[in-house]
Parts: sequence; structure tokens; C-alpha cells
Amino acid sequence: MTDTHVPKGARVRLGVVDGDLEAEGGSTIQAEGTVRVQGEARFSGDVIVEGGLECRELRSRHGQVRVTGDFTATEKVSTDEGELEVGGAFRARDVDIDRRLSLGGPATVETLEVGGRLEGASTLSAKEVNVGGHFSLVGKITAESVEAGGSVELQEVALDDLEVGGMVRVGNGTIRHRITVGGKFTSDGRIHFGDFSAGGFAEFRDTAEGGSIEVGGVLSAKKDLTFTHLEIGGMGDILGSARGIDVEVGGKFSVGGGLELSGSLEVGGMISVGATLQAGRIEVGGKLTAERAIAGGKAEIGGVVSTRSGLKAQLIELGRTSRATGPLVGGRVELSRGARAEDVFGESVELDRKCEVHRVVARDVIIGKGSTVDEVVYSGTLRVDSGATIRSTPQKVATLPTFPL
Amino acid sequence: MIAARSPGDGGARRREATDLYATVLEVVKRYHGAARITRVSYGAGMPVDRLRLVMDRLLALGLLQSEEIDGRPAFDITARGQEFLDTYWKMRGFVEGLEHSTDRRAPNNRR
Repeated sequence: MTDTHVPKGARVRLGVVDGDLEAEGGSTIQAEGTVRVQGEARFSGDVIVEGGLECRELRSRHGQVRVTGDFTATEKVSTDEGELEVGGAFRARDVDIDRRLSLGGPATVETLEVGGRLEGASTLSAKEVNVGGHFSLVGKITAESVEAGGSVELQEVALDDLEVGGMVRVGNGTIRHRITVGGKFTSDGRIHFGDFSAGGFAEFRDTAEGGSIEVGGVLSAKKDLTFTHLEIGGMGDILGSARGIDVEVGGKFSVGGGLELSGSLEVGGMISVGATLQAGRIEVGGKLTAERAIAGGKAEIGGVVSTRSGLKAQLIELGRTSRATGPLVGGRVELSRGARAEDVFGESVELDRKCEVHRVVARDVIIGKGSTVDEVVYSGTLRVDSGATIRSTPQKVATLPTFPL
Repeated sequence: MIAARSPGDGGARRREATDLYATVLEVVKRYHGAARITRVSYGAGMPVDRLRLVMDRLLALGLLQSEEIDGRPAFDITARGQEFLDTYWKMRGFVEGLEHSTDRRAPNNRR
């Protein structure tokens, strides 16, 4: 086997190299179609290969290696304080680039590690991709895991895991297992994922469907969102409809369409739902606004509930000095001291002290001291505290009228 | 490199010390305890001499730790560093979200 040496600044024409190939800085290698190196290619400084390159291993240091055609390394590609630019297709087993890797054609690798920037103009298929800084790809990426410290811009994705320190923007596709983003996540097209976690801001610009979603700061979904558990530290805004098991929001949450949950809804601040809110349990610390709200179990409102068609639950609890606009329909309905409501329907309705209600329709009714009710219709028992006021004579009926909802 | 603002946000915000700290910590985190300063400099898009000052500050603040591996320092993020990152991104999320909602409601954005 014969090694080939290309001296500094030389321009040579090569076809097959039996042994290793060594090239020094400023040299240009013209390929007779493709340079086929049986052994290892070792480059120092800037080296250009005009055409294709095949070798077992490429090692370069202190410079830029540019291969204008296709490049295949059956084993490893590594640079020490250097960068690699490949114009055509790229195939290698393990790749470790210090500064920058630029890929013009489709790439297939097993492991790919880049310290600085990875830029691809076509597709990438890999087992693991790890980039210290920025990673952008125009074509589809298929990989088990993608990790980046800085920012990532991808189009179509088929991944198992995506973990990015800074910001991510993806087109569409599937991330089967988990998305973890330190900062900001944006998806432009339809996206499916396993679990999702973003420290700061998450924006789904098209329909998104996934498992557990955790957002530290703010979530924005422009279309429909499906999940199992949704937890938002700050604010959430879904313009379409949302469906899942549980929702927990620290601050403000709004859904343009309907919100359908098989489990519980817990909102520390305010929630607004454009159509129907349906959940197993509803707990709102501040204000609930919806066209209608239906809870299979308990609905607990700390501040204000405002519905057009009503709030229906097995048990409705309105906190002290809370306000309800639109009918309340129980089960059991309990209004704490100083609460105000319009029409209240239930099996049993209990008003604490100083409540104000327009109309109570229930089997059993208790009205506390200082409370005022315009009208009471009941079929079972009525207990009125001495200091309470009922503005019209209570009507006892054999059968209660049909409740709304 | 983490941009202080994403494209289309309408004007770049000057990168402050906290942005640089977050950038560096996120890159260091990727190397799972074996981050070399040259690699971090490529990832963070910062020259080594300037990065060294930032790393020294992060070490002094207890957000980074270092140990010798093969005679050269290798860096790793500390629990306190991770706490800083969580808080930093949460705050950035809030700011971005608030600006987002302000943009949508601004009268001069209505056509």
C-alpha cells in the first residue's frame, strides 16, 4: 500500500489512493470522479476536494475541508478546530466536528456531534445528533435523538427525542417520545409528540396532538390542541378547541372553542371558554367565563362565574362574595357568605349569610341570615333564617319545572 | 447561539449579561460534565478570551463547576445553574407572552 502526500498549496489530480492520503493547507485535490482512499485521509489547514471523496476515516485540523461532491467515510470523521463543508451526499458512521458542518446533499450518519453550527440543505438520517450551538436543516430529519445547546430550526421531523437549550422551530412531523426545550418552542405545521416541556414559551401554529404538556411561562395554540395533562405556569391561549384529561394553569387560560376534559380543571386565575367547558371537576380561583360549563363532579368557583347557558355540576360551591351570571344547576348548590347569583336550580340549595339570588328552584332550600331572594320554588323543605328576605311568596309545587342544561 | 430575540420580533434586544449566562450554561449542559472551553466557545458563538471571563463569573456565582479531566478543565452546570436557567426561561416566556398579547391588542395592528 502506498500513502499519498499532497504538499502545502499544491494542486493534484487523484483517483484511487492505495494507502492513506495526507494533504496540507491550501491544497486542492481534483478528483477523477471520486477520490477513493483505501485508508485514512488526514488534512491540515484548508483543503479542497473538487469532486467526491471516499475513505475509511477523515481527520482534519486547523482549517476548513471542502468536498464539492459526495463524501463517504466508512468509519469516523473528526476535525480539531476545524470545519467541514460537503456539497453532495454525505455518509459516515461517527462524526465529530469542532466548529461547523455544512451539508449540501442528503446525509446518513450514526452519531453526529458538532460543537458550533450544523447546517443542512437536504435530508438527514441519524441515530444521535448533538450540536453545541445552532442547528438548521431544510429537508426531513429522521433520528432517535437531537440535542442542541442553542437554537434549532427544522422542517419535517421524525424523531424520538428532541432536547434543546434555547429555541426550537419545527415545521411538522412526529417526536414520538419527548420534547424538552429550555426556552421557546414554535411549530408551524401539524405536530404529534409524546411528552412536551418548555421552560418559557410554547407556540403551536397548527393542530398539535401530544401527551403531557408542561410550559413554565406561556402557551399559545393557534388551532386545536389535544393532550393528556396540561400544566402551564403562567398563561395559556388556545384559539381552537382543546381536549385532554387534566388542565392546571397558574394564571390565565383561554380557549376559543370548546374544552373537553375527562379529569379536572384547576385554574388559579381566570379561564374563558368560547363554547362548552366539560370536565370531571372544575376549580377556578378567579373568574370562569364560558358559553356553558358542565362538571361531572364538583365545580368550585372562588371569584366570578359567567355563563350564557349555565353552569351545571353535581356539587357547585361559590366562594365568599363571589358572583354568578347565568343559571347554576346542581345537584347540590352552596353559596358562601355574600355571594350573588341569578337563577339557581338544584336538588338542594343552601345560601349562607348575606347572599343575593334572583330565583331558587329546588327540592330542599336553606336561606341564611341577611340573604335576599326574589323568588323561591320548592318541592320538599324550605328553611328560612329569621333575618332573610324572600320578596315574593314561596311556591311549594308537587313537581319542579325542568332544569336548564 | 441563542438570539436575544427570534426573527420577526421586530428589532433586536441587546444581549444582557443574563442572556450570555443562559447561552453558555445551555451549551455546557449539552456536554454532560465534559464541556471544554473551546467547544463551548463554538456553541455559544463567543471568542475564548471573552468566554473565559463569563465562565469565571459563572464559577464564582456557583452556577458552573469544573474539574480536571486529562489535565484540562472540563465544565458542568450545577443545580444552582439549572435553577437559574429554569427561572431565566420562565421569565423570558412571560415577557414574550405579554409582548405577544400586547401586539395582538394594539390598535395600530388592526387593519
